[in-house]
Amino acid sequence: MRRLLLLAAFLATAVRAEEPLVPRFVEETATAGLASSYDGDWEYMVGGGVAALDCSGDGFPDLAFAGGASPASLWRNRSTRGGPLRFLKVESGIEIPAVTGAYPLDVDADGRPDLMLLRQGESRLLRGLGDCRFEPAPEGWGFRAPSAWSSAFSATWEAGQDWPTLALGTYIDPAEEFFPWGSCTDNLLVRPEGRHFAAPQPLKPSYCALSLLFTDWDRSGTPSLRVSNDREYYKGGQEQLWRLAPAAPPRLATEAEGWAYLRIWGMGIASRDLDLDGFPEYALTSMADNKLQTLVEVPADGRRPRPAFVDVAFPRGAIAQRPYTGGDVRPSTAWHAEFADVNNDARPDLFIAKGNVDAMPDFAAKDPNNLLLLRADGTFRETGLEAGVASMATSRGATLADLNLDGLPDLVVTNRRAPAQVWRNVTAGTGHWLQLRLEQPGPNRDAIGAWIEMRLPDGVHAREVTVGGGHAGGALGWWHMGLGPEAAAEVRILWPHGHAGPWERLPADGFFVLSPDAPARPWQPG
Amino acid sequence: MKMLLRGLATLALSAGLAGGAEARPGPVELMDINTRLALELVRHTPTTSPPVASRAFAYLYVAAYEAVAGGSPDLLSLAGQLRDLDAPPLRDPAAAYDEAVVLEAALSTVIADLFANTGPTGQRAMARMAERLGEATAEGLPPEVAGRSRAQGEAVARHVLAWAAGDGGAVVENMGFPLAHDLAKGPGLWVPTSRIVQQQLPLLPDWGGNRTFAMPDGAACPLPPPPAYSEAEGSAFMAEAREVLETRRTLTEEQRAIARFWSDDPMLSPTPPGHWIAIAQQALDARDADLDLRAEVLARLSVAMADAFIGCWHEKYRWNLLRPVTYIRDHLDPAFEPLLITPPFPEYPSGHSTQSGAAAEVLTALLGEGFAFADRAHEEDGLPARHFPSFRAAAEEAALSRLHGGIHFRSAIERGLDQGRCVAAHAIALRMRR
Repeated sequence: MRRLLLLAAFLATAVRAEEPLVPRFVEETATAGLASSYDGDWEYMVGGGVAALDCSGDGFPDLAFAGGASPASLWRNRSTRGGPLRFLKVESGIEIPAVTGAYPLDVDADGRPDLMLLRQGESRLLRGLGDCRFEPAPEGWGFRAPSAWSSAFSATWEAGQDWPTLALGTYIDPAEEFFPWGSCTDNLLVRPEGRHFAAPQPLKPSYCALSLLFTDWDRSGTPSLRVSNDREYYKGGQEQLWRLAPAAPPRLATEAEGWAYLRIWGMGIASRDLDLDGFPEYALTSMADNKLQTLVEVPADGRRPRPAFVDVAFPRGAIAQRPYTGGDVRPSTAWHAEFADVNNDARPDLFIAKGNVDAMPDFAAKDPNNLLLLRADGTFRETGLEAGVASMATSRGATLADLNLDGLPDLVVTNRRAPAQVWRNVTAGTGHWLQLRLEQPGPNRDAIGAWIEMRLPDGVHAREVTVGGGHAGGALGWWHMGLGPEAAAEVRILWPHGHAGPWERLPADGFFVLSPDAPARPWQPG
Repeated sequence: MKMLLRGLATLALSAGLAGGAEARPGPVELMDINTRLALELVRHTPTTSPPVASRAFAYLYVAAYEAVAGGSPDLLSLAGQLRDLDAPPLRDPAAAYDEAVVLEAALSTVIADLFANTGPTGQRAMARMAERLGEATAEGLPPEVAGRSRAQGEAVARHVLAWAAGDGGAVVENMGFPLAHDLAKGPGLWVPTSRIVQQQLPLLPDWGGNRTFAMPDGAACPLPPPPAYSEAEGSAFMAEAREVLETRRTLTEEQRAIARFWSDDPMLSPTPPGHWIAIAQQALDARDADLDLRAEVLARLSVAMADAFIGCWHEKYRWNLLRPVTYIRDHLDPAFEPLLITPPFPEYPSGHSTQSGAAAEVLTALLGEGFAFADRAHEEDGLPARHFPSFRAAAEEAALSRLHGGIHFRSAIERGLDQGRCVAAHAIALRMRR
């Protein structure tokens, strides 16, 4: 509350800072060669994610789309640096039906990203073979997911483990024809045993999760699992935070600890430290009003904060509760959320994919996607229409990967029963940027759970490296950071469960591979 | 809930075995399972705020009652008693009808119409259930009997729906929040308490002008004014605000449990009228009531609650009083946070109190004084059963829960119960037995 009051006082008195540069996106759906839609009826009313991953090894993000009732598809990136976006559909081994979501991760640390495919049925873990080929995970990996309506995913590497811990979110029981409400099936926690997976453990209670995220919300070095749940189908449920200590059963954060009794139509999670206090804020998508949570209190004496969050979406202008253009005044339905600095002003912006569940007459039918630019005073400004991304299609998933490696995050959005759309970010006059890839020896090659810290004149910009969140899709590859006017920035990595790397000054507008105990290595496309 | 489970078991049996005559669900089971569906649809249809839910239940159970009464030697039609309700289509006295088919056709037709705007899951559930129950009830019947019975049930339903269309509450736009409304400003007047754009204007400001069911009109049960608005220490108004604040500060676990048990938030529960429908179901199960009594109780109860919301809304917009959270933050404690979500409309009187008071009077009149029961309505939501020595005791706890929850002053609670008793008298006076 104290932080909220301070924020309110600050917003009331602050002179509105210079407005951020409005980006310009050009839709290249027709020319990029992409043709994927998320198909199917009731069983596919949620899901529809897209994954961005470099499965070809050329540094350019390739795309894997969930297809719903249609097969999933993989699209190899044929763009050139700074050029128009080009994709080529390739036979990859992921062409199976009933896929609802896709998340990349490198389970076996072989440098070739693997893929978790969430499904209406048995979810599948695919091993990456390189050259954008995939095969079912070997029997020896021990991954077995029971048949379920799978709807969310996250992964982390717990301390001392060679293999990841996976969390799979599930939704309602599709066999419940008459009374599906209250039929939420168990989410699953899949922990490793050496270099294979143990049997999945149910996370009880489960409340129809539509987004999961392992996140080190209190900077303790031990991530917890945030679960955003769809109140439409649970009974007795709420938002959840599972606290995981190594080798111990997970336990839920409680109201006594400060965890708020919050019930929303939870659909997506995005996280980023917006106020430079070192702790992430969380955007939670829902129907009507969306949430932007920040810690109630960050102890000044270095103690860990309590899991108590306050919603600041309204005062910060991130509530995005109904269409801002098109004339439909009914409430919105929000799905994928993702932070990305689309104008490189060193302030993360928030993209939200919007779209009616399926002809729900009380919610907007023409529901434009949001692009909320973060201002210097901490508020957001809606620019979806000006930026050219105000699609009225029924959207679900998205990714803001830099598809042509020009330093500007581009945008891919999936749509239900309609073709996915792709926009190239062609904004002129943006600030500078850095793109970083983490690479450590041994397990957890991509350093999931690390923190990237970048020192700029206004403070330290911290970004957590995660797998999960969003709605039914995630990204693995370059981590993009905007620098604003700075021509260089000091960067360091807090390696997962390890030490803090040294601060290293990196020149702007370049790609760097960072590894522990080694200087940053520049990288060039092609 | 026993009967609900029995209905489900019957349904599963008929679905699984493609049943013989012995697997056909009976009218009581059909009433139960359709009630369960209606309770879920109220919870999961965004427009069904408590007033809208009360209206839906009233038309559903009036239709059910008329369908049952048409085949019962003991029940009288409500035509001519409920405002503007004409006589429903009569049966052919020379022809045979199946009561289960008549009732199922009436219920499924009304439900499909009243919840036409529900989401895809509700649409799917309604369609599958109507199809499956339609098949199950007709199983083994001569086709002409099944067809005639179905047509009769549908005709009664259409008659009730046509009547419903003219009551002023049939069209609910923007989830009940007006797109334009002259929001009066001044000391003590209601101001928005929510940050949701849609809720910057109050819910259903014209609902008090809707056609009533059993009482003459929305003004039939007027209330005295609330305590005079004052910001002065020692004033009655300030004292009531201090009571809300102190209650919040010293809230016991029992008070917290009571507040959450009766919270009955829209879209997170079947709403307050749905809660009392569930209570009635439990009481009828405990009594092992026959079809006629079920039809009568549910019709009287739902009519009383629908009238209660009309009367309550009439008074809410007459007095247009601000909510405790507004007053307390302005004058007593800027950090005050009510336990419950403050509803987006004026404070006086308390809607839950009015309709709970009405419900308790109807159930007491029909099922008796001192009817002790365990309310298990929210067990699926993880809220344990609460035990009451009577319906009135339950209503009093429901009313007081709004004080524990920090969303109502005491006067709104006590006068709300008074208004409910007044409203109920009209429903109790209906002649439904020969």
